[in-house]
Amino acid sequence: MSDSSSVGGTNVDGESPRLEPTVETDEATITDDAELERTLGLTGGLAIGIGTMIGAGIFVFPGLAAGQAGPAAAGSFAIGALVALLVALPTSELATAMPKSGGGYYYISRGLGTLAGTVVGLSLWFGLVFATAFYLVGFGYYAVDTLAELGVTVGDGLVIPLALLFGAGFTVLNVTGTENAAKLQNGIVALLLSILVVFLGYGGLDAMGIVGDPSAPEQFAPFGTMPILTTAALVFTSYLGFAQVATVAGEMKDPGRNLPLAMVGSVLVVGVLYVATIFVATSAFGSERLAEFGETAMVEVGRHYLGAAGAVAIVFGGLLATMSSANASILSTSRAIYAVSKDALLPRRASRINLRYGTPHVALGMAGGPILVLVATGRVELLAEVASFLHLITYGLICVALLALRRDEPEWYDPDFRTPGYPVVPILGALASFALIGFMQRASQLIGVAIMLVTAGWYAYYARDVTLRGALQ
Amino acid sequence: MTRVLVPLAILEGETVPAGLPTLLAPADVTVLGYHVLPEQTPPDQARLQYEDRATAALDDLVAEFEAAGSEADHRLVFTHDREQTIDRVAAETGADAYAIPGVTGPVDRLLVTLSGDVAAERIRSFVADLIAGREIDVTLFLATDDEPGGRESLETAAEALAAAGIDAETELSVGDAPFEALLDAAADHDAVVMGEQAPSLRSFLLGEDEERVAAESVGPVLVVRSSDGA
Repeated sequence: MSDSSSVGGTNVDGESPRLEPTVETDEATITDDAELERTLGLTGGLAIGIGTMIGAGIFVFPGLAAGQAGPAAAGSFAIGALVALLVALPTSELATAMPKSGGGYYYISRGLGTLAGTVVGLSLWFGLVFATAFYLVGFGYYAVDTLAELGVTVGDGLVIPLALLFGAGFTVLNVTGTENAAKLQNGIVALLLSILVVFLGYGGLDAMGIVGDPSAPEQFAPFGTMPILTTAALVFTSYLGFAQVATVAGEMKDPGRNLPLAMVGSVLVVGVLYVATIFVATSAFGSERLAEFGETAMVEVGRHYLGAAGAVAIVFGGLLATMSSANASILSTSRAIYAVSKDALLPRRASRINLRYGTPHVALGMAGGPILVLVATGRVELLAEVASFLHLITYGLICVALLALRRDEPEWYDPDFRTPGYPVVPILGALASFALIGFMQRASQLIGVAIMLVTAGWYAYYARDVTLRGALQ
Repeated sequence: MTRVLVPLAILEGETVPAGLPTLLAPADVTVLGYHVLPEQTPPDQARLQYEDRATAALDDLVAEFEAAGSEADHRLVFTHDREQTIDRVAAETGADAYAIPGVTGPVDRLLVTLSGDVAAERIRSFVADLIAGREIDVTLFLATDDEPGGRESLETAAEALAAAGIDAETELSVGDAPFEALLDAAADHDAVVMGEQAPSLRSFLLGEDEERVAAESVGPVLVVRSSDGA
C-alpha cells in the first residue's frame, strides 16, 4: 500500500485494476463500504486440496507409472511429493501475507510485476483447463468400467463421449446450481479416504506377506533411474491441488493458521497415500501387467485383494475422486479468471455475475469450453504433462517471488507463517520445479512454451500499461 | 443503550415493514445488509458488481430508522453463510437482539415469550428499555408443564415490568404443545419478542423456532441474544 500511487494504469479497453485498501481480520475482509465474510474452515481447505489431488494420483496413474518406472514409480511419487512440499511452504508464506483470491497469480503479479503476472495468470487458467480435461478423461475410463462391473460392456469407445457429457454437465451445474456443494465435497473426500485406508491397509499387510499368498518379488527399478525422473514429471499432475487452496485464500477463516495447515497437510496426506498405493499395486501384479490394465489398473488391484467387492469399491472411489477433482478444478479456474480480470489483464466482462443464479457464468464458460475441446483429444499423458508444465512454471515463480519480496521486504509484507529453512527451501523449490519440466516429453514442453508465448503476446497487446507490482489491495 | 440488529437480504429486495422503525425508535439500530453467494462466486467478485446498489438501498433504510428517532448505521456483508455473518456482526456491534422483519403496520400489541433458553431477566430488561413510557400493550407469555412455577415466573416478570411503568398482561399455557401455543398467542399480536433458541435436533429438521414463528405469525420477531459478545 505504501507505493500505491505508482500502480494502476489501463489496458487496451481503458479499464484499470480495481485496487482498494482493505483490512484483513481472521473472520472477514473489510473494504471501504463492505465486508467479505470468511466462511471456509480448515476442513474445507483440506477437502479442496485433497479432493483436487487424489483423483489423479491413485485412480489414474498407477498403471501408467508402473509401466514406465516399475515398482520404483513409488519413488517418482515421493519425488513429486517432495517438490510439492518445497513449493507448498513458500506458497503458504505468501498466502498468509496476501490472503486473497487468485492464489499464485496474485503473489507473482505483486512480487514480480505485470508481465510475469499475466503469463502466470493466464497460464494458470490454461493449466487448470488441461488438468480438468485430464481428470475428466480419467472419469470417462471409470464410468466405462463401472458399466462393465454392472454387466454392461460398452468398450473404451465411450470413454470420451462420457467425459464430454459430464464435463458439460459440471459446467452447467456450476452455473445454475446454487445449492451449497461444499459439504458434499467434504463428505466425498472423507468417504474416499476411508475406502483407501481400508484398501491400502489390507493390501499393505498382504503385500508384506502377513496375510494372503506371498507374491513374487520384482526388481525395484527395472528400467534404471532416468525413468523414475520422467515418471515423476508425468505424475506431478497428482499434486496440482495444494495451490488451489490458495485460490480461495480470501474466503478462509483464520488464514494465518488454516492456509499453511491446509496446503502442507494435503500434500503430506496424498503423498503418503500415493506411495502406499503404488507399493500395494506393484505388489499385486508385476508392473508390466499393471501397465496393460492402463488407466483403471487399480480396479484389478482391488479385485486381486478383495474380490468383486474390492473392484466395486475402487470403481466407485474412482468415479467419486475423478469427479471431485474435475469439479474442484472448474471452480478454481473460474476464480483464476476472476483474479486476472479484476486486475484488468482480461476484459472486465469475464468476471460478470449472472443475475439469475449469482454465479460467474462467463468465467465458468471460459473454463468449460476449452476443457471440452481438450477432453475430445483424449490424450491422457499429454494433458497431464501440459497441466503440470504450466503449474510448475507458476510454482517456480512463486518461489522466486518469495525470494524477491523477502530480499527487499515492503512495508505491507507481514506473513503469519514464515517458510522454515529460508532461503534454501524456496531456492530448491524453484530449481526442482523448473528441473521437473526438463524431464517431460518434447511435445508437452513445446505446447507449454507455446501457451506461455501466447500469454506474453497478450500482455504486450492488451495490458502493457497496467502496473501491478507491489499493489496490495 | 439497547442495540438491535436488523439483517436484510438487501439485494433480494427484502425491506423493513412500516411499523418496525417506530417500534425500534428508542433503540440504536444497525441495518445489516447481507448477500448470500453460491460457493462458485467469490464474495469480492459480487461486491464489485453490487456494492453501489446495495449501499444506496441501505442508506435509504438507515434514513427511515433515523426519521423514526433511532441512532442508525449500516453494515454490508457479502457471504457464503448467512448465520455466521449475523452472529459475527451481532457480536461485533454488541447487539442485544436481532430482528426478523416480517410485515406489520403500527405495533400496538406485543407478545413477549419467556419460554426458551435465554434468561427471562435479559428478555424483560430488553422489553423494558424498548417499551417504557409508550402506548404499547404487552402480553407476557410462557408455555410450561409446571403450572405453579410458570405462574411465579410470569408474576416476577410482570412486577419487574410494572416497576418500569409497563402494565403487562400474563398468559400461561400449561400442557399444550409449547410451540403451537406460542403461535396461537402470536396471532392476536402485532409483533413477538423471544429469546434465541439453542440449536436442537428439532431446529435442525424443521428450521429454527425464531424463523418459524416469524413465518407463521407474519409480523416482526425480535430475537434477544443469549449474551453479548459471545
